[in-house]
Amino acid sequence: MDVPQTVTAALDDRSVAGKRCLEAGAGAGNATAGLLANGAARVYAVTNDRDHARTTRRRVDDGGNDGDDDNGDGSADNDGDGDRLAVLEADLRSIPLPDDSIDVITAHGLCNVIDPAALSAIAEELSRVAAPGAQLVVDDYDPLPDGAAVGELFALENAASELARGRPALTFYPAAFLRRFFAGHGWKFQRERTLLEPVPWTESHVSAHADRAASMAAECPGETGDALSATARRLAADIGSESVGRMYGLAFRLPE
Amino acid sequence: METRPLGDTGHDSTVMTFGAIALNWLEQEGADQLVEHVLDYGVNHFDVAPTYGDAELKLGPKLRQHREETFLGCKTQERTYEGAWRKLDRSLNRLGVDKIDLYQVHGLEYDEELDEITGDDGALTAFREAKEQGLIDHIGLTSHGDPSLILDALDRIDDLESVMFPLNPVVAGKDDDEYDYEAVLARADEKNVGTLGIKAFAGGSWPPTDELPEADRPFANWYRPVTAPDEIRERFDFAAAQGLTSVINAGDPKLVTMILEAAADYDGMDEAAQRSLIERVRHDDSPVPEQLHH
Repeated sequence: MDVPQTVTAALDDRSVAGKRCLEAGAGAGNATAGLLANGAARVYAVTNDRDHARTTRRRVDDGGNDGDDDNGDGSADNDGDGDRLAVLEADLRSIPLPDDSIDVITAHGLCNVIDPAALSAIAEELSRVAAPGAQLVVDDYDPLPDGAAVGELFALENAASELARGRPALTFYPAAFLRRFFAGHGWKFQRERTLLEPVPWTESHVSAHADRAASMAAECPGETGDALSATARRLAADIGSESVGRMYGLAFRLPE
Repeated sequence: METRPLGDTGHDSTVMTFGAIALNWLEQEGADQLVEHVLDYGVNHFDVAPTYGDAELKLGPKLRQHREETFLGCKTQERTYEGAWRKLDRSLNRLGVDKIDLYQVHGLEYDEELDEITGDDGALTAFREAKEQGLIDHIGLTSHGDPSLILDALDRIDDLESVMFPLNPVVAGKDDDEYDYEAVLARADEKNVGTLGIKAFAGGSWPPTDELPEADRPFANWYRPVTAPDEIRERFDFAAAQGLTSVINAGDPKLVTMILEAAADYDGMDEAAQRSLIERVRHDDSPVPEQLHH
């Protein structure tokens, strides 16, 4: 299982080996893959999306079973990854883990899919499960610069989401905002680094966002939904791919 | 053009090496012009092989005219003592020169081949004799085989002074050992062995021949190269930024000028941009379902 460079760069100054870890918002299990590769004792991949849960489980099961020591560090990753991983289907606002039970938390590409109200509730919960001295890794995107073509697609995705569900689909929080936000939840800021610049929004990303916009547009009433859906498709075809913006990585630690 | 020390050879190679296979698809007059063009950019390291059609013959005239300005690499796919001697003589004749600066074992692929070349009757015995006789100056090895094989070769051949291997954002994004050419780069650096990068401009495989017959391919490379100027530039920058001594151009002569321009302008690539390129290529070719994030 290949670990994305974004995750490798986000974790390379973090102490993960032998730690109890939580990937908050597992997505495709990218951070889970990185945590396991870095020798995590246990990874809880928490997601409320059944497809994501299945993808994460499958990636870990498919990878690392070739009998090789892929890390070259003697850590056993053959046949062992499945045992070290627990995929939990749960809402991040109520994580099914006890207080003070986690040493490393990753929120890799999580915050941008969380609206401000939910973000506060999730931050409370992350602070609750984190043990004293725990590390928090927050990787996300700065707001797009004016004129970015993908910005139009994301605006449309947000419009469809607002109409269908009453909240935005995407919120690109500036690094400085999340830094102060998590500091407000008791985390001591350690460092910021640039993970990607520019951010490559490939055809695969663009079409995934267009699909999501279209599926939310389908929940909108009548003509509006149809118009949003058609526009999403057209935008995706027009944009193709675009490299723009910045993905940053923040690291925090909870006081002992 | 920036130069970097080629391991312990004492030669500083330009950050781009001219892969003279490009001459194979040109008539002699065009070949002469391309060599002058490459020299105009200051490129001082040339690489050729007897298996590149008649590239050796076409390189000959301009190489002899500019012999003092060029560090000449050549190679052989022969694995035996006799075979290596025969091919070295032939290359010297075809190139029309007295000496090859860097003579390389070409395209090592199997463990048995490493055993064979390092044996008493192996190619390296011929290489060492040729070195004593002043016919070659340095010994190198090339492979696009398993990185572990190249690592073995680095450990087993004490007088190895350069290794040539693939390095690009596609392989850099894969974690499996079979793609771990970064480990080769690291070991070569430790041992102060020069590093030459190939396949920096590989975009992927050609479509199957029933979809696109070989005769209809628009480029001579056996892989599908990236061809847009911006892509060429970022691929060059990426390869050079990994720390290779020198990056070899894609073989098709139509691409050489773009690569020369990229090499002449090279001034590093920051890590976020390197990751951006790896990430982009990874998603172009990802088995993981479509993702919203990176």
